[in-house]
Amino acid sequence: MNISNSDVILLAHSTFGVFGTLTALWTFVEALNASERNMRRTRAAATLTAFFMGITWILGGYWYVHFYPADRALILKGPWPFAHTIFMETKEHLFYATLILAIFLAIAAREKLYASAAARKLVLCTALLIVLTGLAIEGAGAVINHGVRVALMHSTAEVPR
Amino acid sequence: MNQENAQVDQTMSKTTAGFAISAAITVLFNTVLACTKDAWPALLKLMNRIAWHNWITQGIADLVLFILLGLLFSAMKTSPEKSQSRLASFLTVAVIVSGLGLFVWYAIF
Repeated sequence: MNISNSDVILLAHSTFGVFGTLTALWTFVEALNASERNMRRTRAAATLTAFFMGITWILGGYWYVHFYPADRALILKGPWPFAHTIFMETKEHLFYATLILAIFLAIAAREKLYASAAARKLVLCTALLIVLTGLAIEGAGAVINHGVRVALMHSTAEVPR
Repeated sequence: MNQENAQVDQTMSKTTAGFAISAAITVLFNTVLACTKDAWPALLKLMNRIAWHNWITQGIADLVLFILLGLLFSAMKTSPEKSQSRLASFLTVAVIVSGLGLFVWYAIF
């Protein structure tokens, strides 16, 4: 078995991204049932969302700067260059919207959601937006991954036997 | 919502309202900055020099703007209840415009 640092960081960044998306969904459900009893749980879920998205940024950023250029070169030479030019470019910039929303969610969840309809609506919308953008980013990651795969298959097919 | 014993109103703290506006503006700024650096190589070069990589510089710029605008709007006079209830719509529209804007920009250019 040969697992490189690049593999570990790549998989860890997407795993923490999924954790962040799931805790945002958890926050959404808690906010739907807002009461005095689940206030602390809602805040914990929202804080975890910000924490996980922060870790995702650090790990994803490190991998993107140090390891992605090799993959990018492969993708651009392969049959799916749009995996980089459209999906990676959109993904890497859309992530910042998710990160800002995650930090904001932790701030908004400090409100007494059971007593403020406006704050509750804001937390519900923010959590849902994190889930939707998180899923879009995970989907874009799959397209990029496939872009590398088809590029490698393409280059292998071109090697004379 | 379990609100049997709670009085529900439309108000929220100045901090939450301020950071909600800040989040919406920062998300839109993020898209504008991404498109501008893509179209203007001099800006891309400058951003590469500021913090190792233009993407890292963009992230730092977003975070700084979000915090500064959040603190600024939080310190302002509390907005009326009606406009506070519209914050969720403003944030949602900003994120949709931002996400679609990025996708369309990179798909076309």
